[in-house]
Amino acid sequence: MGKPPASTWFDLAPRLPSNRRRVLQGAAAGGFWLASGGAALGADVRAVLAAHTRTFFNPEEWVFVLAACSRLIPSAADGPGALEALVPVFIDRQLSGDFGNATDWYMQGPHVPTANPMLGFQSPLTPAQIYRAAIPAIDTWSRQQAGKTFAELEIAAQNEALRTIEAGKAGLAPEIRDFFALLLQNTKEGYFADPMYGGNHQMAAWVHIGFPGARGSFKEWAEKDNIRYPLGPVSISGSRG
Amino acid sequence: MSRQAKKTDVVIVGLGWTGSILAMELATEGLQVLALERGADRSTVPDFAYPKMIDELKYGVRNGLMQKPRDSTLTVRHALNDAALPYRVLGSFLPGNGVGGAGVHWNGHNWRAMPEELKLRSYVAERFGADIIPDDMTIQDWGVTYDELEPFYDRFEHMAGISGKAGNVGGVIQLGGNPFEGARKRNYPLGPLPSTLNGRMFADATRKLGFHPFPMPSANASAVHVNEYGMQLGPCNFCGFCERFGCINYSKASPQTCILDALKRKPNFSYRTNAEVLKVELSPDKKTATGVSYVDEKGEEVFQPADLVILAAYQFHNVHLMLLSGIGTPYDPRSGEGVVGKNYAYQMTGGTTLFFKDINFNPFVGAGSNATVMDDFAVNQIDFRKEGFIGGSYISSGQFNGQPIRSMALPRGVPAWGAQWKSGVKEWYGHSMSISSHGSNMSYRDCYLDLDPTYQDKHGRPLLRMTFDWKPNDIRMTQFMRGKIEDIAKSMNPTSSTSSYKGEGAKYDVRPYQTTHNVGGAIMGANPNTSAINRYLQSWSTHNVFVMGASAFPQNLQYNPTGTVGALAYWSAAALRNDYLKSPRPLM
Amino acid sequence: MRTALRIVGVTAAFGIIALLAIIFIPAGRTSPVTALPENYQPPTDAGARVAVAADCAACHTAPNGLPFAGGRAIESPIGPIYSTNITPDTQAGIGNYTLVEFRAVLYDGVRKDGTRLYPAMPYANYRKMTEEDVRALYGYFMKGVTPVAIVPAKTSLSFPFNQRWGLRMWAWVALPEAGFSPYMGDPQLDRGAYLVEALGHCGACHTPRNIAFAEKGYDSRSASFLTGAMLQSWPTADLRARSSATQRWSNAELVDLLTTGRNTTKAIGGEMALVVEHSLQSLQTEDVDAIIAYLKHIKQERDGTAGRALRREPLATAALLSEGLPAIGLGARLYLDNCNACHFVDGRGAPGVFPQLDRNDLVTAASPNGIVAVILDGTSMPSTAKRPERLTMPDFGWRLSDPEVAALATFVRQSWSNDAAVVSAAQVKAVRSSLTAKR
Repeated sequence: MGKPPASTWFDLAPRLPSNRRRVLQGAAAGGFWLASGGAALGADVRAVLAAHTRTFFNPEEWVFVLAACSRLIPSAADGPGALEALVPVFIDRQLSGDFGNATDWYMQGPHVPTANPMLGFQSPLTPAQIYRAAIPAIDTWSRQQAGKTFAELEIAAQNEALRTIEAGKAGLAPEIRDFFALLLQNTKEGYFADPMYGGNHQMAAWVHIGFPGARGSFKEWAEKDNIRYPLGPVSISGSRG
Repeated sequence: MSRQAKKTDVVIVGLGWTGSILAMELATEGLQVLALERGADRSTVPDFAYPKMIDELKYGVRNGLMQKPRDSTLTVRHALNDAALPYRVLGSFLPGNGVGGAGVHWNGHNWRAMPEELKLRSYVAERFGADIIPDDMTIQDWGVTYDELEPFYDRFEHMAGISGKAGNVGGVIQLGGNPFEGARKRNYPLGPLPSTLNGRMFADATRKLGFHPFPMPSANASAVHVNEYGMQLGPCNFCGFCERFGCINYSKASPQTCILDALKRKPNFSYRTNAEVLKVELSPDKKTATGVSYVDEKGEEVFQPADLVILAAYQFHNVHLMLLSGIGTPYDPRSGEGVVGKNYAYQMTGGTTLFFKDINFNPFVGAGSNATVMDDFAVNQIDFRKEGFIGGSYISSGQFNGQPIRSMALPRGVPAWGAQWKSGVKEWYGHSMSISSHGSNMSYRDCYLDLDPTYQDKHGRPLLRMTFDWKPNDIRMTQFMRGKIEDIAKSMNPTSSTSSYKGEGAKYDVRPYQTTHNVGGAIMGANPNTSAINRYLQSWSTHNVFVMGASAFPQNLQYNPTGTVGALAYWSAAALRNDYLKSPRPLM
Repeated sequence: MRTALRIVGVTAAFGIIALLAIIFIPAGRTSPVTALPENYQPPTDAGARVAVAADCAACHTAPNGLPFAGGRAIESPIGPIYSTNITPDTQAGIGNYTLVEFRAVLYDGVRKDGTRLYPAMPYANYRKMTEEDVRALYGYFMKGVTPVAIVPAKTSLSFPFNQRWGLRMWAWVALPEAGFSPYMGDPQLDRGAYLVEALGHCGACHTPRNIAFAEKGYDSRSASFLTGAMLQSWPTADLRARSSATQRWSNAELVDLLTTGRNTTKAIGGEMALVVEHSLQSLQTEDVDAIIAYLKHIKQERDGTAGRALRREPLATAALLSEGLPAIGLGARLYLDNCNACHFVDGRGAPGVFPQLDRNDLVTAASPNGIVAVILDGTSMPSTAKRPERLTMPDFGWRLSDPEVAALATFVRQSWSNDAAVVSAAQVKAVRSSLTAKR
């Protein structure tokens, strides 16, 4: 293997089918990060992601989510990508908690998942169950289309695949048709939520757009016209950016 | 078998704005008052304390202060022949929960109805001719006039410490206020909030076009206020976490900041939390209520006898309880007969976002009611016959929050994800302002509430069912506003703009948040055959049941409901204190 | 040598005899200061009014407890002291007390069984009570209060403080003369003096104590009286220096503070909030006016440590905070991140709602412990009839480290016109551990 392109630190495991299980289980879908040479990620972020003890995702799902998040908010150019922001850590925690388990939602049947989308969420599945069902479905679809799982695709192909899924044309069952919307929403949540939820690492996403976080005190700024607010963010825990 | 509790004079269902007001008024009268609140107890500290409240994910996105659909929800359908499906995940509207109710999480836009709105059917008929009212439109007069309600609007505004600028004091038009409003006795208790840049740009632009901009009447205090109960508000600090959040700063009027600590001092007032009322119990002849049955915090069912029952829950729950308890005749949309559930209405909103490449708006510098408004296209300013619709709207530019998960306006061409999204959020965050239309919504024969035949709540009761869709009249109204707003926007010369209004054929979509101004279903009026409660909010059928809240609205105002809900609560309380308590009977 | 031994021996013998006497001879009980007829009837409601003015409830009613049933833990330098049940229940309360025994509690700190009370019970101050008020209070606690048959937690201090006989010697040196003799030459001032010095027992917290833990003076003729003290680690206000808040405020501001726990610039929290809630808000108007007239009258022409100042232009701090530049410095940054939402860039807060930090005597007290404790734990205003809202500052101890609290406290002590000493992380650490211990 030559010098891999930017996305290929995902590739190590999937491209070695005979090693697949061993790599995924032994290195727990994290070790291969460290083995990758071409990632745009800083060593600290790679280390954090590799060391993350997953609370929800299995190794295959984790690889998918890493790949998908890095397409939804890529690492290149100004500002953190979803991976630098540790968005996958955020989603992993959310799915094992109240959100993932639809604790607050009305989940009694009968369910009509084929209903007019304007009548809102009607799947019998919780968000966690939707991720669990949709990821293998997408990988199966991707293999049928391109002979590779989603994570194995090149960047451009991954983007194309996501656009197809977003448009509802990847053949996902009605029960999981909201998957893309959920993934995108959760990715943005992980990017911009307070760091205590696992994402928005070091408040870098807030710094990126100029949001001062949990300061909650701007009386003296109401009548300052067109002056960019200069002070960096503060998190709920009090860390300063 | 349920436990029977010791009898009380008054039982109040729900401890939000109207429950707190009625409890205060009736406890002051010396009655034993018990409020039953199905949610948790809540105080500014610790429940809304800085900085833990400043959490967009928990409260803004996951709706941490709201009613959980798992505990209570309803089903929705568009038309009579559709099957309704549950509102499983909060979206379009967000009923509150817990002590303080929606009074905790509102933005604080505090309005009076226009005099014409309170007698809408008569106004339309007299001014334009009844023939312009579409056959399926079931608008009604309220049975109470603006002049009758004025003292009670005034009282609520002073109790809640509203900041603003009057436009019509005793018939004299005031420069800088709303010249189209009904006459008020006196000014607001506090002057207006300072305005952020967007509001001043909007004011300049609309003034140039000959319109009449004025500051939003705001329940975010502009200065210190002490109300009739000795309760205090401090000045709003523009924290940018208002709607969906409890106020960290004792600045937003709420039952917590305006009533509850004073109410709790009264020895004849008590309240129970995590106590959900299942049913109002009636006497055999159904002419009076004997009390309520509720489930207490341990899950035990309790019968609470009372002489007077005040329904002060959210609009949906008031109607739900009436239907479950047999108070009044359920409405039948096919025959048009019956009253309970009739005339459910919503709010027609739309807006245009203006992008300015070179202007920093610092959008996180926000307050729930930081807005500049014009009422030049209000209900009483439009020629309904000429324009082809009945209704109106206020038009405003507000800067309420800059919370990035939800408040990330991006111009056309910036995709929803990918590299360009990432560069787009950096380029455009803080470079936009909005101009919005907040419009009326008429009531219709087939927009109503009843009990769902399929879905049940956790107590095994049928869910409430909403049948609702947008109608051509209201879509014409919002399209009219779109034209006006886009003209204003154009005059401001933005880099670009995007618009979002309901267009022809639009269907009601429960997913995106629109507003929690759900009204009707237990409407007030002058005639027991066409309304569920009389002008004093007293049930026509069951005279010791009074029903507060926006469920009383026969159609929706062009304004946010709280000011009118508050005024009606004080109005009803006055009828109770001055008349009903002396001689309990049907007041009409 | 022998002589010397004999002297030592005799001295020791006398010492032992004296000690045994101290321990075992029954305590004397002070006689009435005025001879009232046996059938003396206090005016109606006088007892309840005395109980309010003496603020018996603040200590003897536990949070959410029944009136006067005791059980509140009162912090003291030697450990928590639990208040007793003073309802007329004959088992759990004081229903069996005779008037003589009741008076001895108020005057001498001696219980029915002869044991000594810790001076957490302010008998050194109550000792000045008139016989009329003793009678009224006795009548109230025997007949006007509902008996409660609950025995509260027992106070159990460690050795040597559990040896209550030692308090007898303390009483010899600490207690002033019994009864109150008017000395101000003006009926209103004398009423104020009586309320402050006797019933209100203000000196118990506001007068510094000597090495024997006795108040340095029990009336305004003592220069130390009401000049501020350390209550545990909390600096209580100096009420007499011309620079003190009490002396700077108008009478109207003092009325507001005493009866509602807040005025335009200041708010009351902590122990004093109990005094407002249980006592001051219910005083009759003329008594509040008398207290204020008296306090104003005993002003001292000196500058205390608190409220002194004017090192900086107040506007300079406001401008710095308002600009909010990243290089603002840690203290100012922490102010913007934690305090500015309510107290604002000018440090003036909002009248009656958010206390002013500029020239706030707790902020600028010689000891920073009070302001540090407020930052760490937050505080609440009392609920009163006129101002029912329990306006509360939340706690920040979980969010700020010791060095951060030190930087923040230093910033507020040295900003606007404040000019008080730097606070160290070690000082913060000490306050934090004392607060933790309290919990």
